[in-house]
Amino acid sequence: MNKQDWKILLVDDEHEFITTLAERLELRGIAARVVFDGESALLAVAQDEPHVMVLDVLMPGIKGLEVLERVKRSNPRVQVLLLTGHGSTRDGIEGMRLGAFDYMMKPLSIDTLIEKMESAIDYAGKAANLGQ
Amino acid sequence: MRDAMFMGRLTAGATHEMQNILATIRESAGLMEDLLALGGEGFVHAERFKKGLGVLAEQVERGMNLSEQLNYCAHATEPAPAGADVNEAMRSLVGLTRRNAARRRVSLVLAQGRTGLRTGLRALEAMGLAGLALDCCLGLLAAGAQLVLAVEEQGGLAVVRLDGPSYEALRAQPDFAELEQCARTLRAGLCAGPGGQGLALSLPKPVA
Repeated sequence: MNKQDWKILLVDDEHEFITTLAERLELRGIAARVVFDGESALLAVAQDEPHVMVLDVLMPGIKGLEVLERVKRSNPRVQVLLLTGHGSTRDGIEGMRLGAFDYMMKPLSIDTLIEKMESAIDYAGKAANLGQ
Repeated sequence: MRDAMFMGRLTAGATHEMQNILATIRESAGLMEDLLALGGEGFVHAERFKKGLGVLAEQVERGMNLSEQLNYCAHATEPAPAGADVNEAMRSLVGLTRRNAARRRVSLVLAQGRTGLRTGLRALEAMGLAGLALDCCLGLLAAGAQLVLAVEEQGGLAVVRLDGPSYEALRAQPDFAELEQCARTLRAGLCAGPGGQGLALSLPKPVA
């Protein structure tokens, strides 16, 4: 799948951080939808299922891990990359157990993020082929 | 310990915020770099701009290291059932004390030591004890000196060794009595380093 066809959802309550990240992805030909809390993330997934959701684990309201669990139940094909901080590495590991594709610590390297997105989309494609 | 735990909670929250701030600065600098790469031709200050962005990236990295070490301290008050990782504790201590040493023109170095060594002390207790030992050494070293902290294993115990001034000179330091008292309270061993130079702290084992 071409990068232009990827559907990416970015979820973080840090507005400046996540909107800037979306702009940088857009400059690389990757369109990303941005939401700022867990509730909006669940709604966005229900409206238009993304290939990859990049999800911060520490947000006010519904926490990242709960969003992950609910998305994996409702839309298991969505691949989730978790964003963690110093104090939330354990959440990243717990997230992997709950079905996250991978986790990354902030600040990010955009190249590494895109590589992980690509791996997640490849993985989802292979899993779908095996399921057919 | 209650005060330390309260400070730990405050610090943990603050370092999380700091990490978000640094992540935002990094992305914004990255966006400027991207835009410069896309349409920078003809911009007379492009090189100076790029240099400035490079400095921003370096400083974000520096801030991240400090924030990581502070975050470690924030959680260092918590008891670790399997024992505190001595290397991790000393890495944070050295990282956060480096500036204090540099003020005295001493370079503080953490030697590549054995990893995986643990102690029954809380990480903060191990850091506090080694911090007192560092203060004693720093008080005696001349400008331009290097102070090496190493973590080793001796007789099944994690040992923090400081290659510093002679042990006799250290014992004459005003802070040494406090170091001895702290070592006794924590049931840690305190003795001279090899050849009577520097000192060694043997930390108690984790409770089985």
